[in-house]
Amino acid sequence: MEHRTMTRRRLLGVSLGGAALLGMSGCGASSGSASAGTDHLSLWYWKGSLSDTLLATAKRGVPGMPGLKVQGSQIPDGDIDSKVRTSLAARAYVPDITVANSDNLATFFPDENEFLDLRTLGAEAVRDRYLDWKWKSCFTPSGRMIGFPLDAGPTALYYRRDLFQKAGLPHEPQDVAEEIPTWEKFIAAGRTLRAKAPGKPYLVSNIGNVFQQVLLQSPQQFVDADNRFIGDQQHVRRAWDLSVELLRRRLSAGITDGTPDFNAAMSGGRVATMTTAVWAINGLKDTAPKTSGTWRLTTMPDGPANYGGSYLTLTRYCRDPEAAFAFLTWLLSPANQLKSYQEMALFPTTPASYADPAMHTPDPFFGGQQPIDVFGPAAQKAPVVYFSPYEESANTPFFQELTNVEMLGKNPDRAWRDAVNTAETTLSRLGVS
Amino acid sequence: MATVLDPTGAPAADERRASRRGRSTAPGGRRRHVPPLLAVSPFYVLFAVFGTFPVLYSLYLSFQDWDGIGDMRFVGLKQYGWLLQDSVFWHSVLNTFQIWFLSTVPMLFLALVLAFLLHSQVRFTGAYRVAYFIPNVTSMVAMTIVFGSVFAQAGLANSVLRAVGLDGVGWLSSEWGIKSSVAIMIIWRWVGYNALIFLAGLQAIPTEHFEAARVDGANSRQTLFRVVAPQLRPVILFAAVTSTINGLQIFTESQVLFQSTDIGSTGGPGQEGMTIVLYLWQKAFKEHQFGYGAAMGWLLFAIIAIFTIINWRLVSGSDRDDRRPGIAGLLRRKGVRDGR
Repeated sequence: MEHRTMTRRRLLGVSLGGAALLGMSGCGASSGSASAGTDHLSLWYWKGSLSDTLLATAKRGVPGMPGLKVQGSQIPDGDIDSKVRTSLAARAYVPDITVANSDNLATFFPDENEFLDLRTLGAEAVRDRYLDWKWKSCFTPSGRMIGFPLDAGPTALYYRRDLFQKAGLPHEPQDVAEEIPTWEKFIAAGRTLRAKAPGKPYLVSNIGNVFQQVLLQSPQQFVDADNRFIGDQQHVRRAWDLSVELLRRRLSAGITDGTPDFNAAMSGGRVATMTTAVWAINGLKDTAPKTSGTWRLTTMPDGPANYGGSYLTLTRYCRDPEAAFAFLTWLLSPANQLKSYQEMALFPTTPASYADPAMHTPDPFFGGQQPIDVFGPAAQKAPVVYFSPYEESANTPFFQELTNVEMLGKNPDRAWRDAVNTAETTLSRLGVS
Repeated sequence: MATVLDPTGAPAADERRASRRGRSTAPGGRRRHVPPLLAVSPFYVLFAVFGTFPVLYSLYLSFQDWDGIGDMRFVGLKQYGWLLQDSVFWHSVLNTFQIWFLSTVPMLFLALVLAFLLHSQVRFTGAYRVAYFIPNVTSMVAMTIVFGSVFAQAGLANSVLRAVGLDGVGWLSSEWGIKSSVAIMIIWRWVGYNALIFLAGLQAIPTEHFEAARVDGANSRQTLFRVVAPQLRPVILFAAVTSTINGLQIFTESQVLFQSTDIGSTGGPGQEGMTIVLYLWQKAFKEHQFGYGAAMGWLLFAIIAIFTIINWRLVSGSDRDDRRPGIAGLLRRKGVRDGR
């Protein structure tokens, strides 16, 4: 009977986040690990976020580190955030190592002590291997390094060379970069395209994408490091005005990305450009295989930015921080990032990899252009951006109102005021002034 | 099926009698209760852990400010106060009721007609019953993706409209298009389920009533609305109540239909597809405002409770008293089966 109550109580505590129960029984940080009592460290990731080959190697034993094994568990990418949060709240079955998405890392800032400060494990020694802006984005406002650079998402302008040519526009990547250096020029080119290219193609699929990219080119987003709302300032307003201008000039197809209509428009040549990151390549190839050879890549108007990418983190329940950190530096070394790029198309955060001949392969989908020629420099030039924990709460109203303007014809000025008001109200409840 | 859904309420009455007998024949002997209690304990233990505790915990959470990991901060009734001033929340309440009305009324009517047709002599009745029930057990996420293609600008729905000479509809880009799309998905999913419940109720009606109606010269329509419908009242109440409870919790359809790579476009243009539960999910699980989400959950509970009572009054207004335990029994069983 005694035994049964114990287990039931443990079950309650574990399954419901009964932190108090476990606290009473004296469970310290050391026993909260999911790998407690095993010979390996546990790692949570989602499909496609890490190289399967390297993980298979790590499961047998990390090379150069005798006795160190890391076992990965694949978690659906929609669930991993809530699973990590649940285990951290329960202080039980927490993974030693976990992958965090770029827009997710900042949401852990208010709970930064749940993660190990990687500087205490000697992270500074490998700093010069990694992109500077990516490295800086691993830090919380208080200066704790809770993330380690996994992959990057440098952005580019994807465009249809054939349509640009038929419209009499500059159409070779170098020329496009030189003659369409700003968003204003981009809009002007869109008007020519719409007037002269066959089938009157739209310039962009929807205006939200451009809003997103203009925003990412700015070092500031919606909330600054002092927890002040800055979403009503010029950098956001500029992104908003450019997006509205695209719509006013009828250059947007008004199609949501990823929908069947989007797929039809891309393969049917109704949309002539995409402003997005390197990871969109495979999606585009799947969506519009028939357009192979007509696409080209060039520098984004107003310069490159970073969109997406991930981090690895060590939780404070990590059983063996030194070994886990050694695993990170092995898995994310320039040589292994190169392998991950070849196997999984994960774009390296180690600039040394970009010079490797293995990355300089011509891609027939882009008419034999080497994507690295555009994405490599873009990755090195991306700005240092501060993302606050409240970015999603703050930017949701803006994206929503842009959709309303585009799809329902809402007055842009009224939509802007509504977006600012909604964001301010939501943020004030979260302690952002 | 037929006994479970017996509209006269016999099962519940049996249960009551049985439990009374059990109590009276075992005075004092506590030991005797141990084996049966142990036998039923797995359910109650699991229900306590995964049902009661989370429910009570969410009530506690609704008075706190919590991001899911760190320390909670007691904020009293502030979450509720903020919620009552939140225009998106009220918009989601309105959307939910509009979608609920658009889906439930045609669905219950269709289900009744279907049940009546299935009850009459047709060939392959079994096959039809299975066919109508299949949508209910199909993965909603998969089906919503299929419906996403159907309602696309160049999708099946618009192709059909154009084929008969009508203009295409902005199914996913206009206020009533969005609401109709979601409602159609709900009807598609639940009409077979409710038809089977009505069918079970129909089978409990003595055949003499049908024969008498036929002798008196009633046609099919008159039989359905004058003979069947009044006798099915308790079953219709059951279907209406469960449809209300389900209808006010619409989530998957809206969530998957407007899920895209765009951040923050939940609920579609104008947030016309934003339902209460979708908003709850967005706040609690995407923006990590668990206190706010919990408060929303409790307001939703209050709304459902009010509407269940209204439903009950409306449908069983002039009912005899002895029917009520029957409905309660049915609801209890339904709750047990769904694990709610």
